[in-house]
Amino acid sequence: MKFESQRVSWWFFATCMLLFSLQIVYGFIMAFAHAGHDALHAVIPFHAARATHTNLLVMWLLCGFMGAAYYIIPEEADRELHSVPLAKLQLGALVATGVTAIIGFHFNWWEGRKFLEIPRPLDFLVVVDVLMFIFNIGMTVKNGRRFTTTSLVLFFGLLSAALLYLPGMIPTTNQTHDSYWRWWVVHLWVEGVWELIMGGILSYLLIKLTGIDREVIEKWLYVIVGFTFLSGILGTGHHYYFIGTPNYWKWVGGIFGAMEPIAFLGMAIYGVTMARKGGRAHPNRTALQWTVGCSIMSFVGAGFLGFAHTLPSVNLYTHGTLVTAMHGHMAFWGAYAMIVLAIMSFALPNLTGRRLHDAPSAQLGFWASNIGMIAMTLAFGVAGVTQVYLERRVGMDFLAVQRELEVHFIGLILAASLFTLGVCCFVWNFIRHGWPVGEVLAAGASDVTPEEAARTP
Amino acid sequence: MLSKKAARAFFLVGTAVCSLAFVGLTVDTFNRIPAQTHAAQITPAVARGKDLWDHSNCMGCHTLLGEGGYYAPELTRVYRRRGPDFIRAMLRNPEAMYPGQRRMQNYHFTEAQIDDLVAFLRWIDGMDLNGFPARPTLASASPEVTATASARPQVFNQICVACHAIGGSGGAVGPALDRVGDRLQPDYLDRWLRNPSAVKPGTAMPRLPLTDAQVSELVTFLSHQRSEVRP
Repeated sequence: MKFESQRVSWWFFATCMLLFSLQIVYGFIMAFAHAGHDALHAVIPFHAARATHTNLLVMWLLCGFMGAAYYIIPEEADRELHSVPLAKLQLGALVATGVTAIIGFHFNWWEGRKFLEIPRPLDFLVVVDVLMFIFNIGMTVKNGRRFTTTSLVLFFGLLSAALLYLPGMIPTTNQTHDSYWRWWVVHLWVEGVWELIMGGILSYLLIKLTGIDREVIEKWLYVIVGFTFLSGILGTGHHYYFIGTPNYWKWVGGIFGAMEPIAFLGMAIYGVTMARKGGRAHPNRTALQWTVGCSIMSFVGAGFLGFAHTLPSVNLYTHGTLVTAMHGHMAFWGAYAMIVLAIMSFALPNLTGRRLHDAPSAQLGFWASNIGMIAMTLAFGVAGVTQVYLERRVGMDFLAVQRELEVHFIGLILAASLFTLGVCCFVWNFIRHGWPVGEVLAAGASDVTPEEAARTP
Repeated sequence: MLSKKAARAFFLVGTAVCSLAFVGLTVDTFNRIPAQTHAAQITPAVARGKDLWDHSNCMGCHTLLGEGGYYAPELTRVYRRRGPDFIRAMLRNPEAMYPGQRRMQNYHFTEAQIDDLVAFLRWIDGMDLNGFPARPTLASASPEVTATASARPQVFNQICVACHAIGGSGGAVGPALDRVGDRLQPDYLDRWLRNPSAVKPGTAMPRLPLTDAQVSELVTFLSHQRSEVRP
């Protein structure tokens, strides 16, 4: 840690841990309901659990991106953060808004638009909050002593994410318009500007962990985010096949959607190659594991499994089935959850001054959560393909098919238990690191202690 | 070897070209949506129905245009599949309609609100969705079966099959109705359809919103489902 103000990121990371844990609880409620055990139906009906599960995800990832920015930007800009009190106020306001929204979901207060369920009055609060964050980061970059590609990519990713929240607030009466704008937010976030944020964080971590020349890493960062936008922007069309929009979207969405895995493949090759070439073996091996793991899992989850149902001829049958849940879980985990956990694993020892990064619990956390997620994806995949076959091909009744699928949700619950064990280990390791009281290093000092440098090969 | 400057140019030019193309296609799409979705038919009732749809988070369980929660049936074509009477009965008392099955919340909608939701679903049903939802291509589509289905009363094909199967297709909630005419007499069927719990107290079968004409049509049809007489 080079600057006092970087400490504020710890509070964002701690919030992530809380919200992520709660998200998993709601995931279990939904999985049990799918398996035929909806004991909580009267208190937390499925749609309330679902809205809570997905909105908690979005909230903790945004919180993680903000924490990552507050940790990375001062170091990249080589100055203290513009305002620490503003960052704290902004975190408090975000949590207050989010908690209000989630309580509201349990009392039928929502907008009922998939992923954007937060009611309209709260949307405005979210916008104000994100503007405070962008202002804080923007002033730090603007007045910085240096401009790096990593910080610019991260900043513009965050700025675009804020701007792209706005189309979701356009009032509509036509369901097709409603859906059209909704995907501007959801798709252009996760298959567009969030990849910029992910790329920025990945590039920072690779520079720190591998010791490879910044120029090389940042050059390839441009190439990867170039491919992201080349495919991702028009790839939005793969959501416009069957919602009342013109037929030509099947061509546009099909071709550009099929190209989307290229950017994620780029990330995977980038992560693995840089890690192998790296001359400096950083002592924080767990952070490197999460970094490289993220680049690989994002390719499998977002790239490969996304491609599996992006072509219009396939999507005609898979659209609106559990196949989407299969892709969605591993994509969000691999690309976004893992990048946040990677930056946390890297930053924690520096923020707290306790070097517990390679503890057995950290290792168990990595492997159990990832193997658990792969198994969950398989369970969703089997359920999804079975549903497509029985319901969409054979024409069996919806509810009759759902009963056939119950057994796969038992499998999902088992897989999710392993995943949860991994996440518990991660959270436990976070707690063990303690408060953010790590020392601020003198200018030019390395974050690797001489003893550590001597120990690592 | 690629320079950093060239990489940046690739990123900036690619992003600019794709963004412009996307905005252009969006403008064109918005010009075409009204015709493709019959936007002229969006009456105030349809608009109120959409509002109810959103504010009850129906999409949290159901899918519409294939988008939603994957927990409850796809409703894009529900208006033609089940008809307005079934939708009304379902919205009045969701738990009665699929006894012992995955449950839907009772929203206690007023009759006016139910009318609005039906109007909304009817408008959705009319949309041109480029072939979605697809016909189940492996379903028993032999000419014989298709002909049998079209010979059944419409109310049977819309309401009864939600829970009961016949000829191997339909719901699995209640018993299959093949050869039901062997077991049940016309006058019993008549009393049963008009008020199931009066015939068998505590039965899971709901009292359905059937007219006299529909009841007699169903009684005739069901009592002809016999082992020797195939319709």
